[in-house]
Amino acid sequence: MDIIQKDSEILRLHDETHEDIVKMTGISKSFPGVLALDNVSFNLRKGEVLALLGENGAGKSTLMKVLSGIYPRDSGDIEISGLKQEDFTTGKAKELGIVIIHQELNMCSHLSAAENIFLGREIIKRGVVSQDEMNQKAFEILSMLNIDIDPETIVGDLAVSKQQMVEIAKALSANAKILIMDEPTSALTSKEIEDLFRIIIDLKSRGCGIVYISHRLEEISLIADRVTIMRDGKYIATMNYADTSLQEIISLMVGREITEKFPKISCPKGEKIFEVKHLNAGRMVRDVSFELYKGQILGIAGLMGAGRTETTRAVFGVDPKESGEIILEGKPVTIRKPYDAIRNGLVLVPEDRKKDGLCTKLTVRENIAMPSLDVISNFFGVVNRQKEKMIVEKSIKDLSIRLPHSEVEAMSLSGGNQQKVVVSKWLARNSRVVIFDEPTRGIDVAAKVEIYHLMNDLKRRGIGVVFVSSEMPEILGVSDRIIIMCDGRITGELMAFEATQSLILTYATMFESKLSRSDAS
Amino acid sequence: MNEFSRREGRQKGNPLKRLLAIRGMGQVISVTIGLVALCIVFQILSSNFFSPDNLGNLLRQIAPYLIIGIAQSFVLITGNIDLSIGSIMGMSSMMAATMMTKGVHPAWAILITFMSCVFVGVVNGQLVAACKLPPFIATLGTMTIARGIAQIVNNNHNTDTISIGIGKETTEAFKNFFYYGKIFTLGGHQESNGSVIGGFSIYSPVIIAIALWIVFNFMLSKTRTGRHIYATGSNMDAARLSGVNVTGTITAAYVVSAICSCIAGLIVCATTGMGAMDTGNSYELYAVAASVIGGVSTLGGQGILLGTVIGAAVWSVLQNGLQFAGAPVAIRNIVIGVIVVLSVLLDVVIRSGSRRKAKDMGASALLGWISRKSSEKAAP
Ligand SMILES: Nc1ncnc2c1ncn2[C@@H]1O[C@H](COP(=O)(O)OP(=O)(O)OP(=O)(O)O)[C@@H](O)[C@H]1O
Ligand SMILES: [Mg+2]
Repeated sequence: MDIIQKDSEILRLHDETHEDIVKMTGISKSFPGVLALDNVSFNLRKGEVLALLGENGAGKSTLMKVLSGIYPRDSGDIEISGLKQEDFTTGKAKELGIVIIHQELNMCSHLSAAENIFLGREIIKRGVVSQDEMNQKAFEILSMLNIDIDPETIVGDLAVSKQQMVEIAKALSANAKILIMDEPTSALTSKEIEDLFRIIIDLKSRGCGIVYISHRLEEISLIADRVTIMRDGKYIATMNYADTSLQEIISLMVGREITEKFPKISCPKGEKIFEVKHLNAGRMVRDVSFELYKGQILGIAGLMGAGRTETTRAVFGVDPKESGEIILEGKPVTIRKPYDAIRNGLVLVPEDRKKDGLCTKLTVRENIAMPSLDVISNFFGVVNRQKEKMIVEKSIKDLSIRLPHSEVEAMSLSGGNQQKVVVSKWLARNSRVVIFDEPTRGIDVAAKVEIYHLMNDLKRRGIGVVFVSSEMPEILGVSDRIIIMCDGRITGELMAFEATQSLILTYATMFESKLSRSDAS
Repeated sequence: MNEFSRREGRQKGNPLKRLLAIRGMGQVISVTIGLVALCIVFQILSSNFFSPDNLGNLLRQIAPYLIIGIAQSFVLITGNIDLSIGSIMGMSSMMAATMMTKGVHPAWAILITFMSCVFVGVVNGQLVAACKLPPFIATLGTMTIARGIAQIVNNNHNTDTISIGIGKETTEAFKNFFYYGKIFTLGGHQESNGSVIGGFSIYSPVIIAIALWIVFNFMLSKTRTGRHIYATGSNMDAARLSGVNVTGTITAAYVVSAICSCIAGLIVCATTGMGAMDTGNSYELYAVAASVIGGVSTLGGQGILLGTVIGAAVWSVLQNGLQFAGAPVAIRNIVIGVIVVLSVLLDVVIRSGSRRKAKDMGASALLGWISRKSSEKAAP
C-alpha cells in the first residue's frame, strides 16, 4: 500500500487542470415520504478521484443514480463536459461514458463471468454471439485486474468478493470517462483492494474522473484528491483532501464529534457459554474448535475466503455438517436447520444482506419481526400487532434506522440502513449467543459505534457474542479474544491486549506463505 | 383494511395515503376503478345488467373464480405456481359424484374427496419444496395425474345424476348446500307453489366463497404462517435463515390451494347434479388471471387477497356482461384477453410511470417466470 500512496501523491500534484467534466447544480429528488436530495450541487474534475462521503441515507447513492440516469431528477441542472443535459436517461449516460458500479451487486447469477461482463454489449460475429471472443476479451480484462477467475464460471458460484471483482471488470471494460464506484470495497479482500487502487490510479492518469463512495475512511486517504460531504440529502462541503483531517470529515458527516471510535467495556470473564468442537463442513471448515465465555466478545479474523462465513453457516445449520459437536451452556445440541439453532437461543446475523438477510419486497416491519414471530404470536399462530409494533419501534430507535415509517419496503432504504435492519431483526429476540458476520459492512461511522455499543450491551448482559470481521481496526478495537482463520482452519488465538495487525496477518496468511515458500524451494 | 392501517390512519391524518401505503393496495384500487367502469359500460350496453336478478347471478358466478383465485394466490405468493387446480376440481367433482351415485351419503363422499384432494396438495408441496422440482413441472405432473383419476373413478364416463344413488331429497340438500340455496332474497315475486322467482338473492356459493375468503385472508394477513408465506416468496434464503420452515410453508400453501379447488369442484358437481370428467379444465389459468389482475405478483412475495376478489369479479363481469350484451363466444374471448393484459399494464404504467417494470408483474411475467424458474432449478 505504501507504493500506491506515493504514486498517488505524485499524481495529485500533476492534476491541476481543474476541468469540470460533471457539474450538477440544485439537484432535488424526492421519493414518497422522503426528500432524498435537497438542492445538491456537485462537480467532478477530469482525472481526479472524488470521495463522496456521508452517513447512511445521506443521499449519496441517489445522487449518483441521478448522475447515471437511473432516477430522473425533480429539479436542477446536469452539465456533462460542458454540455447541458435535458432529458437524461441511462442510455444517454452510457453514451457519454458514465459507468456506475452499484452498491448492491447487480449480476445475472446464472450467466458466466464473461457473459456478465459483456451484458448488453455482446460481441456479435456473423449474426451470432461470439462466445470465444468474449471469453478471450474477458480473460484479458480479468488478468489486467489480477483476478484469477475463469471467464466461463457461472457468477452465482463465485464468492461475493469475486463477484464484486467481476462487477468492477464489467465497468472497466466499458471504457468509462466517468466512473462511479458505490462502496466497491465493502466485499473485497485487502489484496483485491490493492489491485483495485492500482487500477484506479491508472484510470486517473488517463483522464477518467472517478467518484468513490465508501464508509471505510482509511481507504479515502490512499486515493482521494477531493472530498464532498453530504448530510440528510443536503450538500455540506467540498474540500481538497490534503487540506482537511479525518476528524473534520467525520464531524461534517455526522454533524457532531465522535469521541470514541471503538468503545470498549470490560466485564469479568464468566463461565463457558458456547463451544464448538472439531467441526467439519466441506472444504472451508476443517476441524474448527473454539470456546466462548460470558462477558467476552470473541472476534474471528482472517482474510476474505478464509472460511469464517462457512463456519458460521455450518454452526447455524444452514449448511450441513460432516462432524463436530456444538455445546450450549454445557449441553450438547443438535442443529440441523436454522430453526433448531434459533430455538436453542443461537442466532446468526448473516453477511450477505441481499441474499440471506432481507426480504426486500416486504416492509421493514415484517422483516424485523420475522425471526420473532413465534414469540409475538399466540397459540393459534395469530400475530399480536401490539407486541410487534413495540419490537419494531424499539429496534428502529436502538439502531437509529432512518426511514419515513416502518411500512416502507426494505428495498427502498439506503444500503447502510438495510444493514441495520438485518442486524436489528435478531436483537429483538432474547438469545443466548449471537454471531455477527460482518455486521458493519456499509454502515457509517456513527452507526458502527452504535453497533459496537449494542455488542457491548449484549456482552454485559451475559450473552455470548461472536464477531466476524475483515476490518482489522474494528476487530482489534472491539473483541476481547481473537481467533484467526486461514484456509478453513484456525491458525491462531490471541488475547486482545497482545494482538496487533501484523500478528493477525501472519496467522491469517499462514498457509499461503508456507505454500509460496515451498514453491520457491 | 387491517388493524395497523386503521390505527396509523387515525394518528397521521390522510387516511387515503395510509391506505395506499399498504402493500398491494394501489393495484387493488386501480382495478376496482376499472371494475366499476366495466359495470357502467355493460349497463349502458344492456340495461338488464344491473337488474337484481342478474346481480345475484353474477355474484354466484364470481364465487368459484374467487375460490380458485384464493387457491392460486396462496401458491403464487410463495413464489410458485399450481397448475393442478383445474384437475383437482375435476377429481373432486368426479369422485364425489361417483360415490354418491353408488349410494354413499354426501357427508362421507365429501369427506373422502376432501382427504384425497388434500393429499394431492401435500404431494405438490413436497415435490416442490422438499424434492426441489420446478413447480411448473411438478404441478404439471399432478395436474395430469389428477385428471387421470377424474377419468378413472367412473370408468372413463361422466356419471349419471347423483339422485339415483342418494335419492331425490338428499340430492336436493346437497345441491342447495353448494349451489342453489338462497340465503337471502330481496324483491321478486312468489309463484303459486311457494318458490320465489327473480329478485336479488345471495346464493350459497357466495356464502361459501366469503367464508373461505375470511378464513384464508385471516391466515395470510394475521398469522405466522401467512408471514412465512410472504417471506418465502420474497426471499427464500433469508426466510430459511430467519428460522422459517420453508418446506412446511410451501406445502401449506399447496394444501390451501387443494382445499379451495376441491370445494370449487363440489360446487360444479352440485350445479349439474352429476360429475363431468372435464370439470375445471384450464381453471388453473383463470385462477392465475384472477390473482394477477388483482395484483398478486407471479414472482412471489406480493399481493393481497382483497385484490383476488376484485380480480375474480373483473373476470366474471367480463364473461357475464359480454354474454348479456350478446357478443359471440369468439369475440368474448378476444375482448377478455385484451382487457386482462391491459388492466395489468395500466396499473404498472400508472404506478411506476414507466414500462420498465411491466415484465415483472403482468401476465407476460408468466413466460419469463417459467424460464427463470426452470433455469434456476436446472442450474445446480
Ligand atoms: N427507491 C427508493 N424509494 C424510496 N426511498 C428511497 C429510494 N432510494 C433511496 N431512498 C431514500 O432516499 C434516502 C437516501 O438514500 P441513499 O441510498 O441515496 O443513501 P446513501 O447515502 O447511499 O446511504 P448508504 O451509505 O446507506 O448507502 C434514504 O432515506 C432512502 O430511504
Ligand atoms: Mg448508498
